[in-house]
Amino acid sequence: MTALSFADITDDDVRAVRQSHPQAFGDPVMRMVRIASWTIVIGYLLYSFHLFEFAKIFDSSERAWRLVSRIFYWQDMASWHYDQIYVGIAQTVAMAFLGTFLGTIFALGIGFLAAKNTMPFGVIRHAVRRLLDVFRGIDGVVWGLVFVRAVGLGPLAGVLAIWISDVGNLSKLYSEAIENIDRKQVEGVRATGADPARIIRYGYLPQIFPVFLSLSLYSFESSTRSATILGLVGAGGVGMIIIERFRAGMFDQVAFVVLNILIVIAVIDWGSGLIRKRFIGERGH
Amino acid sequence: MLEFRKLTKEFNAKRAVSEVTLDIPPGQMVGIIGRSGAGKSTLLRMINRLNDATSGQLLHDGRDVTALKGRELRQWRNECAMVFQQFNLVGRLNVLTNVMSGRLFHHGFGTSMLGLFSAHERAFAVRALDRLGMAHVALQQTDTLSGGQQQRVAIARALVQEPKILLADEPIASLDPLNAKIVMDALRAINVEDGLTVVCNLHTLDTARHYCDRIIGMQDGRVVFDGTAAQLTDRMAREIYGAEAAEAFNEALTSTSLGRASIRDVADATRAQARATV
Amino acid sequence: MPPIQPGQDPVALFEAHRAEIRRQKLWINLLLLGGFVAMLLWSIDVSRFWPDRLAAGVPRIFEYFGSVLPSFQWDLLFETRNAEGRFPPGSIGFWYNDFWKYLALIWETILMAITATLIATALSVVLSFLAARNLTPAPWVSTAARRFLEFCRGVPEILFALIFVFAVGIGPLAGILAITIHATGALGKLFAEVNENASMKPVDGLTAVGGTWAQRMRYGVLPQVLPNFTSYALWRFEINVRASAVVGFVGAGGIGAELNHVISFYSDDRVTAVLLLVVLTVTAIDLMSERARHALIGKEALK
Repeated sequence: MTALSFADITDDDVRAVRQSHPQAFGDPVMRMVRIASWTIVIGYLLYSFHLFEFAKIFDSSERAWRLVSRIFYWQDMASWHYDQIYVGIAQTVAMAFLGTFLGTIFALGIGFLAAKNTMPFGVIRHAVRRLLDVFRGIDGVVWGLVFVRAVGLGPLAGVLAIWISDVGNLSKLYSEAIENIDRKQVEGVRATGADPARIIRYGYLPQIFPVFLSLSLYSFESSTRSATILGLVGAGGVGMIIIERFRAGMFDQVAFVVLNILIVIAVIDWGSGLIRKRFIGERGH
Repeated sequence: MLEFRKLTKEFNAKRAVSEVTLDIPPGQMVGIIGRSGAGKSTLLRMINRLNDATSGQLLHDGRDVTALKGRELRQWRNECAMVFQQFNLVGRLNVLTNVMSGRLFHHGFGTSMLGLFSAHERAFAVRALDRLGMAHVALQQTDTLSGGQQQRVAIARALVQEPKILLADEPIASLDPLNAKIVMDALRAINVEDGLTVVCNLHTLDTARHYCDRIIGMQDGRVVFDGTAAQLTDRMAREIYGAEAAEAFNEALTSTSLGRASIRDVADATRAQARATV
Repeated sequence: MPPIQPGQDPVALFEAHRAEIRRQKLWINLLLLGGFVAMLLWSIDVSRFWPDRLAAGVPRIFEYFGSVLPSFQWDLLFETRNAEGRFPPGSIGFWYNDFWKYLALIWETILMAITATLIATALSVVLSFLAARNLTPAPWVSTAARRFLEFCRGVPEILFALIFVFAVGIGPLAGILAITIHATGALGKLFAEVNENASMKPVDGLTAVGGTWAQRMRYGVLPQVLPNFTSYALWRFEINVRASAVVGFVGAGGIGAELNHVISFYSDDRVTAVLLLVVLTVTAIDLMSERARHALIGKEALK
């Protein structure tokens, strides 16, 4: 068989190849499976577009336009009560910081209770883990509302909400870090005849500390994001200002506040990057 | 006819290819030799515009290749297929799909995004694979194949493009001697049987001498030799290779070669190999 | 370390050098510690986390959680409806009197998350190819796509939900749109990072074939990145379920509205009834999706 051109491929050739290499034309079963799964996905999407009335998007142009134009067209900037805005943002950051700090302290203990290699009693470990599932399974905003009901409006509820979410998240991550520890390093320290305190200090801590620090720093950043919206349910911080001004139709101010928050979060991100670099080295986590 | 007119390529003020002027008539098998960094690869990649020339012109049958854009550029690339040192196949797709991807230029947006290839295309791709003795692995995932097998799949992909020119950028540099021979035999056979122009970068001198009608020697981005294998004296070759001469001469992978094979021999040989291993 | 001069004791030199480094480190660490303590005190003050407020607040927390726990009477636990068609207080049926209503809302919540995840995945696949620096058709396209993705993931879902409730009205549509946008931002960034780690060789190969940009992405990159994409999309689905349980707080559909209503207006066992259902749903979906992810990529490949 020598040179061959596509134009020369006849139906007979196709038939011949189909005979000699039937698989080359696709497995009919696989093809059906593929078509069926795409049909399901697209069918589902069409159904959900109908169910959730996606057509409403097209009816909303007038309101959407009003909203967007107000977001980008800032007016009366002198009367925006910047003091409230920046106090709110400061309160948000403070709530996040304190919540993360408290969360870290609790997670330091609970993480060891939830790790396989440090908690030999399965019952306790599982009980702790299920409790952590509850802490994590409920969103920060819901916790915020719960604590507002319990301790009243204000940042205290916010701190508690962040604290409980962070305990849930950090404990789980910490326990995973503890479980992933390199036993050889610990054995190396033990082989020098060190006592248990030194084994922890030189065998465990150098491995765990950078990971823990990195996780807590990351948690601070993400807590700042969630603290922003805690105010929507009255749990303190800048969210209260956002919802108040949104309800009053001052979308330009909302945009301004959000922009400021994004900048603050970027700064926190940058700062925690510096700290990470100092204690953990370039590779980070 | 492929005409190079003072084709030049600069990377950050450093000249990789310097005012190359050449004519390559259709049907020729050309080997470009030179030490690493001599500009061979850049020259080749300028032909199908994977690299753009800084100045100068490249004409194909009077058409200015250096000025092509958009669909015309893609059409030109489709006309001059390329085979790479690292094969550049999609490892996670099966062999057949890789070969059929050589027909993508002829597809619209819809059929190519959905991966719909016609029965004719499938048959054509199988035929092309069969020509290289690779039809038996058509449905295998490509990255499970050996280097030599992958390079033959890459040649099959080039064949289904139905190109006028076949560019090969160090096609055998990553292969063991046996597979290198199979691949070079295949390239030569395509050149003879299909009448394709083949332009091939080669690191080793013996391969170029053995397979190519014409040898172009490059040094520091310039063409310093252009002639037949017989015209290339050892002294000239040593000058072209400079410090790398020993390596280039010693890697005489085809020194035990059995002479040129037709592509059918190649296919038969690999089929026999495949049967033996099954 | 300065070179050793003849006549100097190398051990003493080493010790001196070490002491100096330790001193420097100590100072910086003390400074950081000082900053940390200052920040802590400041945040305690700003968030009014004062002892007296804590002393007043903490007991109220226990009080509240005591009041929202269901009070079971063991002999009535599995009691069915009585003659008036009501469950007696103390039975599970009484606790979950509105079970079917909650279940319908949770179902809506899950569907919202599925729809949002599907749309967000589709959008972010396209955007990630535009945003990846190695694949983008033009540098400015990459920059524009990156800024857009940053914006999408920078703004919390619930804020988008607030906006969409204003634009398209109360209901799940607003929530879906909000979650879609936020998830597109998050997934688009992750996908773009995966793309940037993909091998460019197949892409070169397809360029040489004469493929268009879309064809190069579809055949050269997508097969390489698809397993990672799927795994990230599943992971995002878990997050989206949580999000769609919350957007209802601002009227954007799902169980959130009920959650908000129950917690805001009652302090009885209805609160724990809804919360428990939400936790169970979220945990179950986490477990299933984690299974699927691990089946997709080896356990180690995921962080």
